[in-house]
Amino acid sequence: MTTKNQIEYPLDEAVDFVIVGSGSAGGILAKELSTGGFSVVALEQGPFREAKDFTHDEFEIFMMSGLAGGAAHKRNQTFRDDESKVAEVQTGPNRAPAFYAPGIGGSSVHFSANFWRLREIDFNERSVLGAISGTNFADWPITYDELEPYYTKVDWDIGVCGAPGPFDSPRSKPFPMPPMPVKSSGVLLEKGATALGLHAQAEPLAILSKPHNGRAACIHCGYCMGFGCEVGAKSSTLAAMIPQAQASGHCEIRADCAVYQLETGANGKVSEVRYIDPAGNQRAQKARAVIVAANGAETPRLLLNSANAAHPDGLANSSGFVGRNLMYNSHALVHATFEHPLNDYKGVQCTRVVHDYYESNPARGFYGGGGIDARPFLHATPIMYALTGQPPGKKQWGAEFKEQLAHNFNHQMTLAIGATSLAMDRNNITIDPTLKDEWDRPAMRVTYRDHDDDLSNARFLRDVAQDLVAAAGALEQWTHPVVPQRGGPHLLGTCRLGDDPQTSVVDRYHRSHDIANLFICDGSSMVTSGRGQPTMTIMALAFRAAEHIAAAARANEI
Amino acid sequence: MKDKPITRRRFIGNSGAVAGSSLLRISVPAALALAEAACTAHEEASAFKILTSAEARELVAISARILPTTDTPGAREAGVVYFFDTVLADQFADQLGEFRALMGQFLAGVASRFDGAKMFSDLSEADQDAYLTDNDKTPFFGMLQAFTMMGFFAMSSYGGNKDNIGWKLIGFEGHGAAQPPFGYYDAQYMRGAQDDNQESD
Repeated sequence: MTTKNQIEYPLDEAVDFVIVGSGSAGGILAKELSTGGFSVVALEQGPFREAKDFTHDEFEIFMMSGLAGGAAHKRNQTFRDDESKVAEVQTGPNRAPAFYAPGIGGSSVHFSANFWRLREIDFNERSVLGAISGTNFADWPITYDELEPYYTKVDWDIGVCGAPGPFDSPRSKPFPMPPMPVKSSGVLLEKGATALGLHAQAEPLAILSKPHNGRAACIHCGYCMGFGCEVGAKSSTLAAMIPQAQASGHCEIRADCAVYQLETGANGKVSEVRYIDPAGNQRAQKARAVIVAANGAETPRLLLNSANAAHPDGLANSSGFVGRNLMYNSHALVHATFEHPLNDYKGVQCTRVVHDYYESNPARGFYGGGGIDARPFLHATPIMYALTGQPPGKKQWGAEFKEQLAHNFNHQMTLAIGATSLAMDRNNITIDPTLKDEWDRPAMRVTYRDHDDDLSNARFLRDVAQDLVAAAGALEQWTHPVVPQRGGPHLLGTCRLGDDPQTSVVDRYHRSHDIANLFICDGSSMVTSGRGQPTMTIMALAFRAAEHIAAAARANEI
Repeated sequence: MKDKPITRRRFIGNSGAVAGSSLLRISVPAALALAEAACTAHEEASAFKILTSAEARELVAISARILPTTDTPGAREAGVVYFFDTVLADQFADQLGEFRALMGQFLAGVASRFDGAKMFSDLSEADQDAYLTDNDKTPFFGMLQAFTMMGFFAMSSYGGNKDNIGWKLIGFEGHGAAQPPFGYYDAQYMRGAQDDNQESD
């Protein structure tokens, strides 16, 4: 259905580009390069779902990981919190260590669509603050000003709603549409912030508040976080980019195709991309150039799994930085109930965010900054509310528990903290020595333990959030200990940008330092983590990369 | 007879009176009477995909103490046992063995704790609650508590949450389009903004 009218390219004739991955970065690269006249094959390991395939079936989405690779997703990865340990497949309630949504559009399909830009400070913070021992804290090779035009392109081409906030970096063009109507949770965050002398600003969202680019506006159904949008109002690349890529007549999308190896030729360049097709057959697509945009966990796994005689440590890995510096962003949550109904399960997740603590302040004694937003979190849907949204230390059964369930659902909200992670050698993606995934590819091994500063910063922001809900008039509030994370949906830093080939994987235009026709662009490109909402930046980087890669291709420099 | 499982089809057929949310609270006694009638009339043997009728009887009894019938319907009326049966036969089939083993341990303790009692479902509600209080940190209880939440709140196509009883209990109107204001505080905020505009006029 979804691919029947698209162009088909033969395997043994080189297309201009093979793009591995079709998510936030891959979907944009596929659209930009194919509409620019280049022949593109996009290989995606997950299925091609359309808006009509998305449901509100909470059991399927959260209990069966319906959009997030199913039950097998967790079994395909191992985790350890220290390199001295043997990594194991995670059991229990933890999410997959590298949590993402395989499928056309990738995780932009199921995300909550909070769309903060980075600020100037995110790009040069190392120079401002100095080195942090034991980390690979570094400046980016580009500045906010260089990326700003592409943030604006995301605003308009992908579709972002919002309004400028008091601390935002300068923008060259206004938001294309107004922010979402403020929800009760946003009103209460604003009330708390005002009482504490802080500032609550409209949350920028990659969700359409008005019809835009031929797409319909949000209907406020509330099924954003974890779900696909059945009206196409969420600005996934599935909704905003893939249709244009296919309409160009130069882009062939191949879904359910699991790439297992990039092959290099005698000239030192990547010659073909090997994958397993939906029928289980091994295939190889020849290409002039290859762009890996498989996410910050799958991208390093593929490069490491592509090791050969000429590249014994994996492709593009002369620095040893492929897979290193994994950053999840740090997180904390505060939950609260209020006197009157909020009905926060309706509408988008967030409508207000506090950015007063965005910047690091050395006087606090630790590195870090972040944002605090108001939302229902996972308690917008009843099962997750019942399982994860109840105050701790109380009986989880009986008549009183039932009364609490019945009362709190409409009276409850969450303040969610998204914050910095420091880049470190010890947090990384490597290849598990024994486990194979469902396609028999060597599985990824995730090693992660938050930096102490990241934990301290998350605790600091959690304390601010507790003050905020108290100032907003909360009747009851509770939180959970901030402990080292064992998984996350933000997969950043593992093939970082940089000018120095010894401490980075790709140059400032996303070309790998080692292989001239191999480009890498996705969350792995990020040098620092930002403050907790990376997708806007991943998309801006993709638009910028596409422009430079297209120019290089036209100049015959790939 | 009270603790026996209710056949879903018969219960649905007889319980149209509880469908409207405004009727939910006042209709409970009537619904219970219907349910008991259904139990009495029901031939249990073919009711479940994977659970035995004896297992189902115990699961109904335990889940009915997790979300008891009060002035509003609970796990029993929502038919969560049919959800257990659905998912243990399908999506959670890989957990069936563990589930049965843990349930066996859980039930084995009943006879030694209460003289003369063989099954959990034989106990009075007060004794059932006392036994659960002693055992609510066990893996089986944790598993069944989670299953009960899922069965109470998952789409009714999975067997539980009959007539959206779970959603009605918590005031969840989800699934369709909605229009702001959604809650008290944003409604107040919008009114304030309108008042401000009128003042500036």
